[in-house]
Amino acid sequence: MDEILGEFIAETLETLETLSSEVVAWEADPADQSRLDAFFRFFHTVKGSCGFLNLPRFERLAHAAEDVLAAVRRGERSADPATVSAVLAVMDRIGALARSLGGDETVPEADDDALLDALVASGAGVETLAPFPQPPISDPIAESEAPATADAAGPPSGAANERAPRTIRLPLTLVDQLMSGISDMVLARNDLARRMRERAIDPDLESSFERLSANVAELRDRISKTRMQRVDRLYAALPRLIRDLTHELGKKAMLELDGGEVEMDREMIEMVLDPLTHIVRNALDHGIETPAERRAAGKPEAGALHVVARQSGNQIVIEVRDDGRGIDCAALVRKAIATGLLTAADATRLSDAEKLNLIFRAGLSTATAVTSISGRGVGMDVVRTNIEQIGGIIAIASRPGRGTTITMRVPLTLTIIPGLIVRSGQHIFAMPRNNVVELLHQTSAMVAMEEVAGARIARIRGQRHAFIDLEDVLKLGRQKNSTGPRTLMVIRSPAGRPYVLGVQAVESNEELVIRPASPALTAAGVFAGVTLPDNGRPMLLLDAAGLAHAAQLPLREAGACLASTPSEPEEAAVPTMQALMVRERDGTHRLIPLAVVDRVDDIAADQIVPCGTAAFLRIEERLVPALNAEQPREDRLKALRLHASGEQLCYLIADVIDIIDVPVEIDAALAGGRLAGLAMAGDTPLEMLDPFALFAEAHAQDAIARAEEPIRCLIPDEDNAWMRNILAPLLIQAGHDVRFGPVTEADATHVILRCEASDADPKDDEPAAGPIPVITLRADAAPATAAPDTVYRYDRAQIFAAIAQATRRIA
Amino acid sequence: MTEALFLFASIAGVPVAVRAREVEAVVRLGDIVPVPLVAAHVRGLAALRSRVLTVIDMEARIFGKGGLDETASLAIVADIAAHSYGFLIDSVSDICPAPEDAQPVHGRIDPIWAAYVSGLVEHEGQSHLLVSLADFALPPGNDVLAA
Repeated sequence: MDEILGEFIAETLETLETLSSEVVAWEADPADQSRLDAFFRFFHTVKGSCGFLNLPRFERLAHAAEDVLAAVRRGERSADPATVSAVLAVMDRIGALARSLGGDETVPEADDDALLDALVASGAGVETLAPFPQPPISDPIAESEAPATADAAGPPSGAANERAPRTIRLPLTLVDQLMSGISDMVLARNDLARRMRERAIDPDLESSFERLSANVAELRDRISKTRMQRVDRLYAALPRLIRDLTHELGKKAMLELDGGEVEMDREMIEMVLDPLTHIVRNALDHGIETPAERRAAGKPEAGALHVVARQSGNQIVIEVRDDGRGIDCAALVRKAIATGLLTAADATRLSDAEKLNLIFRAGLSTATAVTSISGRGVGMDVVRTNIEQIGGIIAIASRPGRGTTITMRVPLTLTIIPGLIVRSGQHIFAMPRNNVVELLHQTSAMVAMEEVAGARIARIRGQRHAFIDLEDVLKLGRQKNSTGPRTLMVIRSPAGRPYVLGVQAVESNEELVIRPASPALTAAGVFAGVTLPDNGRPMLLLDAAGLAHAAQLPLREAGACLASTPSEPEEAAVPTMQALMVRERDGTHRLIPLAVVDRVDDIAADQIVPCGTAAFLRIEERLVPALNAEQPREDRLKALRLHASGEQLCYLIADVIDIIDVPVEIDAALAGGRLAGLAMAGDTPLEMLDPFALFAEAHAQDAIARAEEPIRCLIPDEDNAWMRNILAPLLIQAGHDVRFGPVTEADATHVILRCEASDADPKDDEPAAGPIPVITLRADAAPATAAPDTVYRYDRAQIFAAIAQATRRIA
Repeated sequence: MTEALFLFASIAGVPVAVRAREVEAVVRLGDIVPVPLVAAHVRGLAALRSRVLTVIDMEARIFGKGGLDETASLAIVADIAAHSYGFLIDSVSDICPAPEDAQPVHGRIDPIWAAYVSGLVEHEGQSHLLVSLADFALPPGNDVLAA
């Protein structure tokens, strides 16, 4: 609330400042309609804002002034000099009060009455002009001067600074320029880093570069935060809206707002504002019953309206929940049949969720009477379109007599989205991750392909989807020599049914800064934007709906209503989540929440690197801590790569079986160890793995590799050709930092690597080794003498394992 | 007579002039990433620092086919309607002031050029066709000047 209050003060003072230049002009020509409107708007806004901020003094003053100005606008009063003066006096007083809210100066309340009297009296007639206006004019000027000077003196004393954080307003373009400036910097840094890797690097230079690089990264984070605003801003208008609506409708409602501290992109806030307002209006108008109806239904007289915002990954979830009468599905269906949206026969085949989703169809409303608030049939379809336009999803759940919940999921920002990088021959594209429901290998047992009269169909777990190849849609030549299995992406697009898109490969998963595509590119109809990843090679963002359109796939709105496939078939009021069903290495079927699984890799037995009691998995020359990693009897294993902000973990399994929806709430009676409890997969209870416990277990082994920090390796023997030419490139390739030269005090965070041969030399040069871990490499695969603590120098896996272990000792 | 700065260049061997206020820079572009499904004159995307340029082959844009060979990289960089473009050209000869007002075109020029030319600018005794970069940015059919 403090923040809203602060904003109110800032806005009021700012408007006053702009209006102050108009004051003189208005006095000169009181009949000027546009100036009159500006003043009227000011009082109206103040009145509206202080209603729910509980500032009765403001409200009283603004209300009186608004009344007077309204009368002037209607022509019932003339804007004579007395009226103008009185109005201006009230304006000054509001300014003084606003300043006093921020400081400790108080303005005596009794004085307000004099101002109000002046307002009323000034309208009574010309004869009262002389006695009244004089004191109020001089008075408020004195009043408003005093706090203003106090204000100017305030900051040096320091007291004012502690009261509220100091803020300034900036034009958005400046923030955007900063943002693109920092993007330039990141690219220049990456380029520099690439060039530095290509030559022998001076360690001093390297460490200053690292410092610079870290600063750039930090700056980028900070600047992207400048675009963020608290959801409070979205909430600001709601209390007032509820107050007005309940008065108008003769209903009672309690509004509860949660999650105002969640932050989202300011542009996004503006895009969500209208849909949210609409949903709240609907909830009050249609959802919440009159007090009499509620009493009859055994509910408290006042309806409860709960608006909650929370962040979930890269999305913001905004939920509007009421405890009203719920949505009458039967009425929706009747209406849909009446308006010809579907036939009676179609209607019988609809599931409850599908019936409920009818509310998002154009021209449907269950309101029996059209009110001024809602029910004109332009509503939820527009809301859905708006939400989907910004890459969001809207879902509805309702229980008759119990209430309705509408959930909007929107991306955190418009400009940075998570995307999958896909390859088609020479071309690389990005696909917004929001649009991707699932990734499958073409060879997966869950997929069956068929072709019927030219239509290609992919059947995934019994569900048929239209199937298109990206190369075909984009009219690219298919790579003849690429024989490997292709990757299938199940794509959900706002404009149509889900479809399956075949690509040569999905390369990676990145956060992408998206910019709009130029008209020459959008003319193709399949690109949603362009992005410049860190490698500096521009990339196009695919438009899921555009691809479907280009491939002439059937659209949702065409054909019968059955086409309205609810993208998330939610059972009414039972929230579900997606879980991956896997076969563990002992044959048991278990579940794991899909959200924590980054990817699934096929692994070979030699990728497993045992290391003491822990184990690692060698993936692309990096070692990732692994669980379930006892040496395999099986030939083929799969690893679930679990990812949580910078930490990675591999969980080895025999195979992936399926992705299923399970209730979010699981039966935790069996929780313990690696298990979170039992979840119902259809009728079968399955054990759900607990990602928390898995990460905790890996941590207990102290085996989590901190992927962010490269391991620093020091090779003291810089003349050794094998070390320099054979080992160092391998280490660098694995992402480690390598430097050569004698050991110094500053090297405490390094791992020292040296050869056994040089170890035999006199030990005069290394008293410093002490706490710094040393890895000694031996030349023989099977040494004649027992050589503990040495590693065979061509055992790549052991070398990396030893380095990782040594790093943990340092940490 | 007031003078203004013009960039003198050549497209398909034809001397042209572009008002310098339209031009941000003339650069050699790095890799151009081709874009499928777009008109032939849209060569692709190129990065210029952190900006992404849509690369337009002016010659192909005018003649509807052909255009410069694969290695062409000299481009005029310009921002048009909040998008950044690189316009590929044969060569740039000079940037210097010339009388601000373009002369009317006397004589009948190739109709294929007519849609882009708003006049003539004289430089070192040679007439240059005055063109506006904005006309090349829009997809064909959308341009105001198209005959």
